[in-house]
Amino acid sequence: MAEIVIEKVTKRFEKFTAVDAVDIKFRSGEVSCLLGSSGCGKTTLMRMIAGLETPTAGRILIDGRDVTSLPTKHRNIGMVFQYPVMYQTLSVRENILEPLRRQKLDKAERERRVDQMLELLDMRDLANSYIDGLDAGQSQKVAVGREVARQTAVILLDEPTTNVELNAKIQLIRAFKEITRELKQTIIYVTHDQTEAMTLADHIALMQDGNIVQYDEPHELYSHPTTTFGGWFLGNPGMNFLPAERAGDGLAAPLLAQPLPVPADLPAEGELRIGVRPEQIKLAPAAEAGTVTGKLLERSINIAGRYLLKVQLGTSGVTVKMPGRYDGAPGDDVHLAVKPADVAVFADGKRVG
Amino acid sequence: MTALRVSGLRKEYGGTPALADLSLEVKEGSFTVLLGPPKCGKSVLFRLLVGLEVPDAGTIELAGKDITGEPPRYRRIGYVPQSFALYPHLSVRENIAYPMRLAKAAAADIDAQVARAVDMLSIGHLLDKTPDQLSGGEKQRTALARGLLNQADFFVLDDPLVGLDYKLRERLVDDLKRLRAELNATFLYATSDSIEALRLASELAVLDDGGRLLQQTDPLAAYHQPESARAMELVGFPRANLLPGAYADGKLRAGPLSFALAGEGKATVGFRPEDVKMTAAGDGIKAKVLLVEDLGSEMVVHLEAEGSSLLATALKEEGVFQPELNADVTVAVAAEDVRVFAAGAGS
Repeated sequence: MAEIVIEKVTKRFEKFTAVDAVDIKFRSGEVSCLLGSSGCGKTTLMRMIAGLETPTAGRILIDGRDVTSLPTKHRNIGMVFQYPVMYQTLSVRENILEPLRRQKLDKAERERRVDQMLELLDMRDLANSYIDGLDAGQSQKVAVGREVARQTAVILLDEPTTNVELNAKIQLIRAFKEITRELKQTIIYVTHDQTEAMTLADHIALMQDGNIVQYDEPHELYSHPTTTFGGWFLGNPGMNFLPAERAGDGLAAPLLAQPLPVPADLPAEGELRIGVRPEQIKLAPAAEAGTVTGKLLERSINIAGRYLLKVQLGTSGVTVKMPGRYDGAPGDDVHLAVKPADVAVFADGKRVG
Repeated sequence: MTALRVSGLRKEYGGTPALADLSLEVKEGSFTVLLGPPKCGKSVLFRLLVGLEVPDAGTIELAGKDITGEPPRYRRIGYVPQSFALYPHLSVRENIAYPMRLAKAAAADIDAQVARAVDMLSIGHLLDKTPDQLSGGEKQRTALARGLLNQADFFVLDDPLVGLDYKLRERLVDDLKRLRAELNATFLYATSDSIEALRLASELAVLDDGGRLLQQTDPLAAYHQPESARAMELVGFPRANLLPGAYADGKLRAGPLSFALAGEGKATVGFRPEDVKMTAAGDGIKAKVLLVEDLGSEMVVHLEAEGSSLLATALKEEGVFQPELNADVTVAVAAEDVRVFAAGAGS
């Protein structure tokens, strides 16, 4: 277990800044996911923690020790990549055991760790199978287990489910979840998949253009994004954004039947928008106090059979996610309501209320 | 009006049919999506349509005219292939204009068409860049612009969003629907992503391996009234539960479930994940929670009940039961939410 401190770390490749003065403390004994699109800097940041890249500027501390210029082998870290390097001619048990032989552990402790890992991976039946007989998902499970069993200060995983088919991926994610619940290690897990991050992380570091825009618990990140980017990036589909303007004492926007109270820290200038998640817009049976009326443009089926409605609201469009099926027809009037508490206010892309 | 009619189309490679007697109609002005697994023959069909390959049997009619034997350049079909295929040494402008230059179109005409295409795809600011300076999404928009520049009113798009980031795909889905409307064209679009298909399609054609057409209808009907177990499995995410069942004593039993449905012999029982109702462990069918995937506003729950794997979903909302990892829960599926198919059919 170890805290990882990133102090003003920058990485430039010629003119391109991959990681831009990042300051963050990754929490000890937790799974932190680095989440973002390709090119956001997440893999570069992970590789600097690993010692596979040297920062252009800044410091990296693991457990209070400055490791910025230490080679990888002296950092006490484990790593799992998209294509793990395994001992193909050794069994599952021996693959987990082999790295432990190089540590100063007595035999009983080695055996204990291997048995515990086989249990957590749900692979006791396969303990004596050779790696080259396993599918990609099982093989990747062993790769994860092998690094975890070493009990290094930090474990880094770079998109480990990328080359694993769906069913095996579910097995891998379940095993990972079991392991991290049981063994509280400091883990950095790089992914572009929001569902994977939401499912696995204790905290998610959301990245954009070389910066960490938010580091929060998954539900907090989803419910209270601090930027429009966060609101857009998370969710299927992401938040609706609508133009807002000051109106007397309040803040008016399409979708709002009543102006919102103006947030205390609203800047005097800047582009104002409200953000509302599609599932937080509710349909009312008729026009009534607190509703606004729009026209249904189209409906389609989304994840879990939930209907997505595209609704025209004046010159704006909003997406509404229904709890399930919806039988209204395009062209119908629909009456929309949102709770003020579910409305976020952004000024120039930053959350202000 | 029918824009495209394909009849008995067949193509084999080394004796293996990649496309076995496919018959399909595409309505004029529709956004028709071919949804199927990776080897369902979508790309083969597209190569036959644009004339890159010759069918072993069958005919292709475009706007009422048989084009089966026509050389590619006389077919008025726009083609957006799966890979970007941009020329690395040419600018975005020249990449888009390339097909028109090949066709020796007038310079003024080319400029006007390129301007229109880049405007529709919001890539006007990229015209002087080369492909290596573009992001994945910008490359794909450039490829789309080139494909759409073709002065056709019928376009085939071969899984153009595959491999792109999820969020980028979400944005391009909206772009594509708008583009079809602006061009007032017919789109025939292939994908193996069920949600992408459901969001894009005005008509959904569900294909199985070897180009077997399982069902063609509007996407809502495809979801709610699947005609086969296989079609039910291919349409919708997370995928539908399909269990082998058998009738006995006036009941249909399938895995841990039992329904008051009379019949004889065996059947395949299908139900959607959102129709598996979960409650705290109590009387009823017990299931163990193997994994809870968090999608933000809903969760996908992987369950095991008496040796059967089940997929369930639940809304992440107050007042809705929220199952936890490794917990035991009670599950129920209502008979009206179940679809019964002939055993072994389709799948």
